Amino acid sequence: MDERFSGFGAFILYTITAGMMLFILAPLLLVMAVSVSDSYFVTFPPQGFTLKWYAKVLQDRDFLEAMRLSILLALGTTAGSLLFGVPAAFALVRGKFFGLAAIKGFLLSPLIFPALVTGLALLQVLTKLGSQDARLNLLIGHVVVTSPYVIRTVVTSLQLVDENLEDAARTLGANRLRTFWRVTLPQIASGVAAGGLFAFMVSFDNYPVTMWLANSEYSPVPLVLMRQLVNVFDPSVPAMSTIIILMAMVGVLLLEKLVGLRRALAA
Amino acid sequence: MTTSDDAVAVLSIQAPPATRRASPWRLALPVGLLAVPMLAFLTYFFFYPALGLLLSSIQTQDGRGIIGRPFTLAHYARLINVELYARVLWTTLRISIITSALATVLAYPVALVMVKSRPMVTRIITLIVIAPLIVSVVVRGYGWQLVLQNGPKGMLNWILMTLHIVDAPISVLYTEVAVVIGSLHVFFPMMVLPLASALSKIDPNLEDAARMLGAPWWKVFIRVTLPLSMPGFVAGFTLVFSLTAGSFVIPAILGGASAIMLGNLIEQQIFVVYDWPFGAAIAAVLVGLVLAVNGVSMWLLEGRRLRRPD
Repeated sequence: MDERFSGFGAFILYTITAGMMLFILAPLLLVMAVSVSDSYFVTFPPQGFTLKWYAKVLQDRDFLEAMRLSILLALGTTAGSLLFGVPAAFALVRGKFFGLAAIKGFLLSPLIFPALVTGLALLQVLTKLGSQDARLNLLIGHVVVTSPYVIRTVVTSLQLVDENLEDAARTLGANRLRTFWRVTLPQIASGVAAGGLFAFMVSFDNYPVTMWLANSEYSPVPLVLMRQLVNVFDPSVPAMSTIIILMAMVGVLLLEKLVGLRRALAA
Repeated sequence: MTTSDDAVAVLSIQAPPATRRASPWRLALPVGLLAVPMLAFLTYFFFYPALGLLLSSIQTQDGRGIIGRPFTLAHYARLINVELYARVLWTTLRISIITSALATVLAYPVALVMVKSRPMVTRIITLIVIAPLIVSVVVRGYGWQLVLQNGPKGMLNWILMTLHIVDAPISVLYTEVAVVIGSLHVFFPMMVLPLASALSKIDPNLEDAARMLGAPWWKVFIRVTLPLSMPGFVAGFTLVFSLTAGSFVIPAILGGASAIMLGNLIEQQIFVVYDWPFGAAIAAVLVGLVLAVNGVSMWLLEGRRLRRPD
């Protein structure tokens, strides 16, 4: 314990902090506990131990189809948002042109705009255009909401790049592309990877844009799960949820390894 | 011309011209052009659709579902004048304000402990606070549904009844309280992170000085720590408020029919009633609300009243 906290103040601080940790973990731990419950309805306390609900989920065609769609969509979104976002971040950090601050604000604005409205507005335009392929529509919508995350993380890591190294490379005769590839990119690689991972996770979990653009044929995981919540009462829903929680944990650990969590999320 | 071009130009005066290869990249266009694809993409798929939606909110939909003239403000009037819809607006405001206020009160202690503890404790708290952020909102809403389940089989009721705190199960699920609890869980990290970032920038000497001059811990907090952490508070409050106001999943799972929020009303108007102009008007009000709060927050952060958080 730090000496700066002592007495009654410290007691309050640590009690509230411990309470909040419990508050954060409780629903997730409960979901995981119930997913191995050997009962036909979700009840508390969970009874016995079984993996049969996982077996059921892994044979559920709707869930597997949704998983496949979500993973492909998230991969496509990652590629798309990196393709658009990394050059844009470059322009924002290295460019010197009129209205730079305004353009930065514009590029990051999908972050503060309610995603629900972003999706609805996009649905209206795509309907008018006659774009009926839900997969393409979802890809466009997801790139809109994920690219600001890529821009933000890449901008942060670009600001830490030592430009003298690039100047040295250029002086030694390397052209711009080679300088970027051999000098700049290795320095921002972890930032780019973190941005891409972010895009993947945000796309995989996205509900407010997805709900407008998906259809009955192409429904990503969050939508299928939402439908199951209403219709299914056995522990296969917690089993699905646990699979999603575990996937997220892998993502978190990767992020922590790549750039450190606090830095990855800091605005 | 960019800085690196300037630097190269300066350096190339000293370098013998013969060693410089002529390269097509020397004629490269300004680096600012790299933003053009992203700008074009967002203009076409974000900015233009948003304006289109705003336009539909002041237009009329005919019997065949075609939206056009005449222009009208009737949809906005309907949202305010029809009691059923006005109540949704107030519910949304109430839930968003209560959630942000609760998040502030609870995030200060967590952020303080996070910033000032030993590295190991800081790491564990950071991991616990941030990890759920990446778990799907649907899963987290479902978790709370299980915890708050009405009847004796819910976890909360089971604990309360086993400990004999209550005799009969309490009903929390499908109320505004459940929505506030769920929203707090989902958006709590958005308050802790900016606060922790602001707190970590406070010079510890200032607090030590106050303590040495005899101020008790609570006075140090109120007179030194709290004022200096205001930028983090403003940023966090804005984030939590905006995100709560625009939520759909949590009220849909935990609020039931008694705590419908603007997001749920929009979905209903579009998917069930097919009333696009009215749905667009509700969306415009939601956007207006969020932008107004963000505007005030930016004014506070940019102005002289507060220092920027980063």
